[in-house]
Amino acid sequence: MNESQPIISIRGVYKFFGRLAALENIDLDVYPQERIVVIGPSGSGKSTLLRAVNQLESIDRGTLQVNGSDVSHPKADLNKIRMGLGMVFQNFNLFPHKTVLENLTLAPIKLKKIPREQAEEQAYPLLDKVGIRDKADKYPSKLSGGEKQRVAIARALAMNPQIMLFDEPTSALDPEMIGEVLDVMKDLALEGMTMLVVSHEMGFAREVADRVVFMDEGRIVERGTPEHFFQNPQHPRTQKFLSQIL
Amino acid sequence: MSHAEQRAQQSNPRDTEEETGQSKRIEVTDSAAIPDKSDKGLFTAWRVSCFGAIGLIILLCSVKPDPYLDILLFVPDGVLVTFEVTMLSIVLSLIVGLITGLGRLSGNAFINLTASTYVEVVRGIPLLVQLFYIYYAIGTFTQIPPFTAAIIALTVCYGAYMGEIFRAGIDSIDPGQTEAARSLGFSRWQTMYHVIIPQAMRTILPPVGNEFIALLKDTSLVSIIAVSDLLRRGREFATSTFDYFETFTLVALIYLLITLFLSKIVNIMENRVTPYE
Repeated sequence: MNESQPIISIRGVYKFFGRLAALENIDLDVYPQERIVVIGPSGSGKSTLLRAVNQLESIDRGTLQVNGSDVSHPKADLNKIRMGLGMVFQNFNLFPHKTVLENLTLAPIKLKKIPREQAEEQAYPLLDKVGIRDKADKYPSKLSGGEKQRVAIARALAMNPQIMLFDEPTSALDPEMIGEVLDVMKDLALEGMTMLVVSHEMGFAREVADRVVFMDEGRIVERGTPEHFFQNPQHPRTQKFLSQIL
Repeated sequence: MSHAEQRAQQSNPRDTEEETGQSKRIEVTDSAAIPDKSDKGLFTAWRVSCFGAIGLIILLCSVKPDPYLDILLFVPDGVLVTFEVTMLSIVLSLIVGLITGLGRLSGNAFINLTASTYVEVVRGIPLLVQLFYIYYAIGTFTQIPPFTAAIIALTVCYGAYMGEIFRAGIDSIDPGQTEAARSLGFSRWQTMYHVIIPQAMRTILPPVGNEFIALLKDTSLVSIIAVSDLLRRGREFATSTFDYFETFTLVALIYLLITLFLSKIVNIMENRVTPYE
């Protein structure tokens, strides 16, 4: 893949909820293997931006391209585009009527038409990777929050996506479970996965991010490397935010 | 511990639903109460009614075989018709109900309005009037056989009720489920089929079971348009022998038995789909 070509390209994107601009003139490029962490106060539009990338949220203006296809185009093959975009939610959203293993294999079997045995063969290494193989036959109701989120990550990975989107993946977790989920995410980053992460975990941002993006009131206020961002923030709004949380 | 306290303690294992990740339950309104093991009182009531009815029928038939045994031998044809009407109507109304429920949730304004209007109109007209309308009123243009008219009327009526149950059941599933499925690449229909409806089924099952029982009871209305169901057969017997008391006592007992039997089946089915663990 051409390193100079962005895999996600966001240009002049606006999104309105009524008269409120949830996204205002957003420009952002994500390059292959890049890890971008989006931070900002709640209501700043960071989740909306992430959800716009796979069109769980439509956009009102601007262009949003993933792998060169315009996702907001009415004729875009969204289902196909979404197969290449793994998404992890704050509330896990595992399928409660399926076992852990079935959560991983459902989409590959139904969407990629992979035979069940093969899908399961591919699922086990992913369960190993997130450290949850022994719970393969359990239902999600029997898992802890951290385990659920790790399964959710494995479920997204089972479709072999090029990009992973994380929407506040640790916000619904008890503090002692945050680490195990972040560890899985760090491993993914080390493997070179392209990641767009909305998070409040500043430690994770500092350690893993190639770039940090700070959003407030629907706008990107500041962006830069973690060093720049945490040691030498330019914008007063960023400075204030960081002083409040650090 | 008093009986009431016992009941209170034993009653709701469903209170822990949230913890087990189980979805909300639609409240049940009409029709016979479905026995539930957690509800000691009802469970006993079910047994009393059931064995009481069986015992009474046996007692009446052995103590006074004329006319009770004669009646019992006369009505089985009617029971069969009642079952036929019920089964056909329930299957058709489930199909109509699913379509209606999906229509009520549709983003398409026209489909949504059509489905909603259908539900609104049908719910506003008594079933007996609908039955007369299809058989007699439409019958002035084109004669519909009574059996067919009965099925159509029950399907139209119960399809609307089922539609509301399907809508509520599908609506009760967390929108996050749809988002998760869509984000994996499932289409709207695939999401419905693989993710939403399987989960909605368990929410839907108890009220559908209740509708089933209510429908069975409502089939007695079709006796008015000359369908030879259980009630009609009873009337035929009574008008020829003038044994009104004996006949309708037995007819009532048979309806009660069938209903109790079905509510038990619904209960078993409900228990079978419960655990996701």
